[in-house]
Amino acid sequence: MSEPVRPAIAHRDPKLPPLPDVPEGPDWAGGLKVFDAPMATALLAVTRTLYPHQGLREQIYRRVIARFDAAAAASPVVAQGFAAFVDGVNGAMPLPFAELSEGFREQVLKRLEGTAAFTLVQRLTVRFLYDDVEVWEAFGYEGAAVHLGGYVTRGFDDLDWLPTPQPGDY
Amino acid sequence: MTRYEHDDSGVVVIIGSGAGGGTLAHELARRGVEVVLLEAGKHLTAEDFVNDEWAGYEMLTWLDKRTASGTWRAAKDHPTSPSWSCQVVGGTSVHWSACCYRFAEHELRARTVYGDIPGTTLIDWPLTLAELEPYYDLAETKMGVTRTNGLPPLPPNNNFKVMHAGAKALGLTVSTGRHAINSIPYDGRPATMQDGFTITGDKVGSRWSTLNVEIPRGLATGKLELRPQARAVRIEHDDGGKASAVVYVDAQGVTHRQKARAVVLAGNCVESSRLLLHSASARFPQGLANGWGHVGRHYLRHVVQTVWSIFDKPVNMHRGELMAGLVTDYLPHDPGRGFAGGYLIEMNSMGLPTTAAFLDPGWWGRDFVSVIEQYRNMAGIFMTGEDMPQAGNRVTLTDELDAFGVPVANIHYDDHPNDLRMRNHGYKALTAIHKAAGAKRCVEAPAYPASHNIGSNRMAANAEDGVLDGNGRAWEVPNLFIADGSGFATGGACNPTLTIVALAIRQAEFMAGEMAAGAL
Repeated sequence: MSEPVRPAIAHRDPKLPPLPDVPEGPDWAGGLKVFDAPMATALLAVTRTLYPHQGLREQIYRRVIARFDAAAAASPVVAQGFAAFVDGVNGAMPLPFAELSEGFREQVLKRLEGTAAFTLVQRLTVRFLYDDVEVWEAFGYEGAAVHLGGYVTRGFDDLDWLPTPQPGDY
Repeated sequence: MTRYEHDDSGVVVIIGSGAGGGTLAHELARRGVEVVLLEAGKHLTAEDFVNDEWAGYEMLTWLDKRTASGTWRAAKDHPTSPSWSCQVVGGTSVHWSACCYRFAEHELRARTVYGDIPGTTLIDWPLTLAELEPYYDLAETKMGVTRTNGLPPLPPNNNFKVMHAGAKALGLTVSTGRHAINSIPYDGRPATMQDGFTITGDKVGSRWSTLNVEIPRGLATGKLELRPQARAVRIEHDDGGKASAVVYVDAQGVTHRQKARAVVLAGNCVESSRLLLHSASARFPQGLANGWGHVGRHYLRHVVQTVWSIFDKPVNMHRGELMAGLVTDYLPHDPGRGFAGGYLIEMNSMGLPTTAAFLDPGWWGRDFVSVIEQYRNMAGIFMTGEDMPQAGNRVTLTDELDAFGVPVANIHYDDHPNDLRMRNHGYKALTAIHKAAGAKRCVEAPAYPASHNIGSNRMAANAEDGVLDGNGRAWEVPNLFIADGSGFATGGACNPTLTIVALAIRQAEFMAGEMAAGAL
């Protein structure tokens, strides 16, 4: 049986810009540059279907959409890819993607696998979702360390459920 | 800094400042040779680097488009970036694992030892391990490799404890291995603080790179000029067929022509082959030094893959040095295993961002989620093995031009049956080690973009078998050299950097000797 898991404290390199600040509440998509609210809603449903972590709050997935939006604002090709993808998922069934049950959502996404638009959205979801300090803390990745003196005094060899190799044996 | 004129034809021009080019620049300069070192990337410092996987990758990587074809997974998973290297002063030595292993004796005689394997273009190296050993010694001293020269090994970390327990249970030979990362202060650089980012743009300076060791020392001789953001686009030759100049574009987009006494390519496999192919002329219609058609061919990338395993209890693999683990039992050539050549097992650790990205690109849904959520309890183990050279595995030029007017490179790679048999054997061996340590689930991850890029301008004992002679000199152009992994005759199993450095030291000795004798 696993031990109770203490949440990690994670650090993003202090030199890097902060993650996007997405508003709480229903009008969260209003500040996006490229996506309108239906587009943002569809993409949010897609990311939650691709990577359905029960323990992660919606705000984290909204930050992924905000980073999609920034990528779309920076590149017309990427913007076009998102638009084509959302057209595809919304047109696959008689209902918009965000209104589909989980099983139908999965069917729609499986049908699109292998298309360039699917690959773009799936890869960028991985790129941004797991690059979020709140996700790092949830899954136990502590992140940037050099500004804290590394891990040399912070547990780099603290695993205690296996024998510690002795000098001469490693 | 010393500066040379563009029409100074007395300088050696080196293209690329990584492990090969940066080391060669220093080794030539300290022998009094005048050197211009061209580097496509920026001159960054430790202050610029960040402790962040993606930001570090994007800051340091050669991001220009390439295309891919063939049966290798990289063509599917990473179709526009199948091969990975860096574009920065210090080259890929700024972002590498620092694993420092020597070729085994039999690997330098691959054709003789492995025999005639259908579909391969195996050759023996034009030099022996005995000839290479003194330069390995020099390289290890220069780089401060652990477990050499009395330097202690890196200490066991959490991920290593898992690897150690599993390997010991199976009776395997396991250690933390050898790395160009200081376990104690050495050569004016501090010991690692186990920050987990030493290999991703080292902010501390505990790891050797040409950026923090070779290039500053080369500059201090007064014989070396470093030109960052200088993108080489063509090598020119004179009427006698000798290399005479390198055309490059600077940060402002201005094109220059630097005359040269000798030219050295050290741009990593893809760029070095691409430049030779692009430098075709009436005299060299197939590309410079390509009369026998070997430029770009026999490309190797090693049989590289990782197994990520989940345990019942926390591992925290991200804490500390990422690849400090080694099992050597599968390195010998043992035809009884069903394949030629061998492989090393090494430890592997990644942060959550890149573990998620490389676990199995394209994988989504509840099963993926159930694995990645257990990152805390995850350990990683890796292999690098010898892949078989094949004539059709090659770097070629496409019809698409990049921003500098140079054709984008395509990299074609088909797995040889020998590679697939080794891959299968390796997955089982990696999984067995983790299972023996108590893993409850093991995930076989595919290779990520090729980082061990080898062989596409190989050296050979005879001109008809390769591009270079045993000193890394082009058979067809007597003042043109190569100082990167593309010059390897075959791949061996180990991480290539130590051998690249050893060969660069040897090459500097040869070139300086030829110059002193008036022959170069």
